[in-house]
Amino acid sequence: MVGCVILFQHNRFVQECKDAEPDVLFVGDSMVQLMQQYEVWKELFSPLHALNFGIGGDTTCNVLWRLQNGELENIRPRVVVLWVGTNNHEHTAEQVAGGVLAIAQLILSRLPKSKVIVLGLLPRGKSPNPLREKNRSVNNLLRASLPRLGPVQLFDVGGSFVHSDGNISSGDMFDFLHLTADAYRTIATSLHELLNQLLEEMPQERQASLV
Amino acid sequence: MSGEDCNPAAKPTHCEDTQGDDRWMSLHNRFVSDSKGKEPDVLFVGDSLVQLLHEFEVWRKLFSPLHALNFGIGGDATQHVLWRLSNGELDHISPKVVVLWVGTNNHGHTPEQICGGIMAIINVIHKKLPNAHTLILGVLPRGKSPNRLRERNASVNTLVRSEMASLMSHFSFLDVDPGFVQSDGSISHQDMYDYLHLTPQGYQRVCEPLHERIRSLLDK
Ligand SMILES: [Ca+2]
Repeated sequence: MVGCVILFQHNRFVQECKDAEPDVLFVGDSMVQLMQQYEVWKELFSPLHALNFGIGGDTTCNVLWRLQNGELENIRPRVVVLWVGTNNHEHTAEQVAGGVLAIAQLILSRLPKSKVIVLGLLPRGKSPNPLREKNRSVNNLLRASLPRLGPVQLFDVGGSFVHSDGNISSGDMFDFLHLTADAYRTIATSLHELLNQLLEEMPQERQASLV
Repeated sequence: MSGEDCNPAAKPTHCEDTQGDDRWMSLHNRFVSDSKGKEPDVLFVGDSLVQLLHEFEVWRKLFSPLHALNFGIGGDATQHVLWRLSNGELDHISPKVVVLWVGTNNHGHTPEQICGGIMAIINVIHKKLPNAHTLILGVLPRGKSPNRLRERNASVNTLVRSEMASLMSHFSFLDVDPGFVQSDGSISHQDMYDYLHLTPQGYQRVCEPLHERIRSLLDK
């Protein structure tokens, strides 16, 4: 079952596809969605013609459904940034990694000229807890298996959030899950560098067709 | 009082940690320890609409200068806020104004129950902070198109407003909806990015009149 709110947002995303020619597509859960509400999005990603298809609470299953049902139909982004999995509460680390792999595979089959960046799942919770371990396991599984799919890489952006005492600061994650403006800036800056690098390496298809 | 006893919206309830990282209790504990040694003039308490406000520029611009604290937790319903305020969050501070914004997450509850939950919260606030003024913000419309939750939220506001009429000067109600529902019945994602939570632009529209109201309450 897909909730109505989700469907409305999904419909808006499908509509946006028809109007925009993005170089970069972000897709995922609230971690993706909230980024668009901060200044850093306008500063670093809007100039790359980035679209944001984030929906709060989404699991890998929800994202897979959305991408199979219209969100990729009218666009040809050169890079897709995928960030999802921390909401898969019913699933084991192996299942979550399998879900991310399935999404990456779908993206590559629909957009064979694109590259995919999978953002690593972040640690969560104020203190050490089983979900941190699970997310770390997901990342390890993805690090090993993603490259076999093709031009896909895991980009782990969670390195600095757990302090030496094992705690996560509310200055980085205001609810010990979602990022503050400052933390988004840190992540977005390194992601922006990687995106620029990937975009530079890729042939400019539109220009090439003009020549 | 017997009515309140069987109203789930007015029964102090802590959030079960169903996900496994205990974030709700971590936040509550942080609020309690943050409140020690702080002397806020204004306290915001409620759900994600309160919580997210803290993450945007408008908070630093309008509310930080008023010495405001933010005790918002995403997903909270009235019974959760009731539990938090009854369990330490008000014990170390004496704000002059408490801004309460909660109710839209009370799924499965009737407007009467939600209103009862809000009344129970303001009773606790009044007991713990007899000199504070509590400003109750109206719950906002939600969903892209007209739906039952919009009607429910409108009923909650009507009920709360009429309760206010019989209460003394320590409480007031403010409808902060600047007109989010457009003439075609839709809400724009420019105001509510997911048709529930506010964008920086949506917050701007809500916060300017709110800021004025708080200022005038502080000046009293
Ligand atoms: Ca927002």
